[in-house]
Amino acid sequence: MASVISIRNLGKTYQMGDIAVHALRSVSLEIEQGEFVSVVGPSGSGKSTLMHILGCLDQPTKGEYFLNGRNVSDLSDDEVSRVRNQQIGFVFQGFNLLTRTSALENVELPLLYNPGKEISSGERHRRAMDALAAVGLKGREHHHPNQLSGGQQQRVAIARALLNHPTLLLADEPTGNLDSRTSIEVMNIFQKLKEERGITIVLITHEHEVAAYGSRIVTCRDGSILSDLPTESRRLAHGELAEMQVPTGDMA
Amino acid sequence: MRLENSWLLAIKALKKNKLQTLLTMTGMTIGVATVLIMIALGSGAQTAIQDQVRSAGMNLIVVKAGNYAAKQDKPADEAIEYSAFHPRKRHGSLLSAVYSPSRGAHLMRVFHPEDDPMAIHDHPVARQRLGDSEAGLGAAATLTLGDADEIRKMDGVQYVSEGIHENAHVAAGNTRWFTRMHGSDVSQPLIRRSWTFSHGRYFDKGEQKKSENVMVLGQIVSQKLFGDANPVGKTVTIWNQSFKVVGEITSTNWMVQPAAGDDQFDAIYMPVTTVQKLLNLSKLNDITITTKSTGDVTPVSKAVTKLLRVRHQITNTSPDDFTVTSEARKALQGGGMRPDVSAAVTGNVSGLEKVTLSQLGKTLDRASETMTALLTSIAAVSLLVGGIGIMNIMLLSVSQRAKEIGIRRAIGARSRDVLTQFILEAVTLSLAGGLAGVAIGALVSNFISGILKWSTTISLPAVMISFGVSAAIGIFFGYYPARQAAAVLPIQSLKQE
Repeated sequence: MASVISIRNLGKTYQMGDIAVHALRSVSLEIEQGEFVSVVGPSGSGKSTLMHILGCLDQPTKGEYFLNGRNVSDLSDDEVSRVRNQQIGFVFQGFNLLTRTSALENVELPLLYNPGKEISSGERHRRAMDALAAVGLKGREHHHPNQLSGGQQQRVAIARALLNHPTLLLADEPTGNLDSRTSIEVMNIFQKLKEERGITIVLITHEHEVAAYGSRIVTCRDGSILSDLPTESRRLAHGELAEMQVPTGDMA
Repeated sequence: MRLENSWLLAIKALKKNKLQTLLTMTGMTIGVATVLIMIALGSGAQTAIQDQVRSAGMNLIVVKAGNYAAKQDKPADEAIEYSAFHPRKRHGSLLSAVYSPSRGAHLMRVFHPEDDPMAIHDHPVARQRLGDSEAGLGAAATLTLGDADEIRKMDGVQYVSEGIHENAHVAAGNTRWFTRMHGSDVSQPLIRRSWTFSHGRYFDKGEQKKSENVMVLGQIVSQKLFGDANPVGKTVTIWNQSFKVVGEITSTNWMVQPAAGDDQFDAIYMPVTTVQKLLNLSKLNDITITTKSTGDVTPVSKAVTKLLRVRHQITNTSPDDFTVTSEARKALQGGGMRPDVSAAVTGNVSGLEKVTLSQLGKTLDRASETMTALLTSIAAVSLLVGGIGIMNIMLLSVSQRAKEIGIRRAIGARSRDVLTQFILEAVTLSLAGGLAGVAIGALVSNFISGILKWSTTISLPAVMISFGVSAAIGIFFGYYPARQAAAVLPIQSLKQE
């Protein structure tokens, strides 16, 4: 299987005044298509920096990063924006929806910044509606983020992340602001995406229970990778939800 | 991303913060409105000054029939009409010594054309009829409607009005009044800029063409015949002919108050064609011409003289059979200068009055231009303040919306997409503010001209300049904040609020 992510000797050093902070020392990692990789580690372990670089939100100070076989570690702003738009979907802890903007408009955003040919507003509308329906938010398209629960907001964010059919879904503490039941619901969506669409997922978390939903766990510490192992007892969100024996709400 | 989408985003963003948007726009609105009002007032003042120069008659040329100034030692050769000898008509014939170039001095019987009141005169050239009595003949009938029409076609001519003047008894019922009767063109009120219609209107083109019996009363005549009542629609008789009153004129100029016997408001006005019909005349007493600018007075005067000499078939050696006067020339001649000196000056230094007049006009123009420039520069300061307001708000907005920008960047917005959106927000603010400013400026200008009776002009260029300037301010003051916005790193999206 082709590597979606291939990083070699990746390093990131921040200059804080006179002191050089080595957020990432020298990291090498290969992630195949369709993998669900959890990256765990305490604060300051470098997992967030790794996530920024993997998401093309930041650029490494050394080493190389190949995304779908293309070196993206030194691209122009336009090119890197295109990569973010087309190949990467983001899901964040704080949901990062635009405030005072309807769920529908939030989901439409990636299409608006689509660098290819113009997508008509009718088409954008239709695709965003479909995406919202797919995460079980039919009928809430015109709600603003503050009218939605945390779980619903996160599902809007997921719908937005998936709209341009990215190959890579990056999730940064996606359950950090959610209760345990909603967290499981979100993990259920992730696992279904991996199974049904073969999307590569990289999940950043500091909770080992959450990391256990992934198929492989990468542990970071002090800017280096400490261990990289398959998950021993993988959790399956679908089964857990069924066991809870309560209506799954509006989850599809 | 397409511009219209960026604009939609910009508008949505502005809508999210209505109060902030409104207040920022207000700054721009005040700026543009002030500029527009100042330009309107300035150019209004300029127009007012030009109006006053014109209403002082500086662009007025009057062509009178006859030539008082021409001096002749002897009648021109072709001046006298040699009548055929009629043996049966003994009376009236006389023996005169006559000189003619072909025959030398000799005696022959001649009729002076004016001696026989029943004689039918059919001469193409007025001088043949007028004969040796032409010099100083005020009632000379040398000008025609055709002359006036030709003058109308000339360059630099603004309005032309034919004139016939007569004294007449006007009557309404048992009230009678002896006054001045003027036949004129429909353009007369435009030439007499200090007129206003207290009732009704001037006669129109159709009435003039059909020489209808319509009449406009001067205020004095109206008062004498009808008191304070509205004379429009009433009937006035002259020599047992009925005329319908269509209007009443009075003065707008406090310096010229209507008074009995003033020839302007103690007068009645009728279409020149109607007066010709009434008096059975085919000629005119005078032609009044206004030029488009005061500087045109001299060239037009000259061109009129040339035209009329050709039309009247006046040879090089003969004097004009008409007199062209301009207010400017009169002003120069009335300056205490000895008549012969002033005649020499005006005769020999061509365009002298043009120099003084154009200097006067230029001085006035320059004065009002200076005023306009002063007012506009004051207004420009308020525009600048409006622009700085926009910049301030946009900078604030960039720091407030850093996370939003970061989210957009993370989703795939290029830094120039962000730049475009923020510039468009600034431009939208300034243009919407500018548009409101144009509306308010126009309203206030109208209000000022209505209340203060100060003429203001909102010209299309002024509106377009205000609009262009507000757009330019939006771009200029929006660019720096937009650059800041575009520089926001996508990593900002990950910062917690």
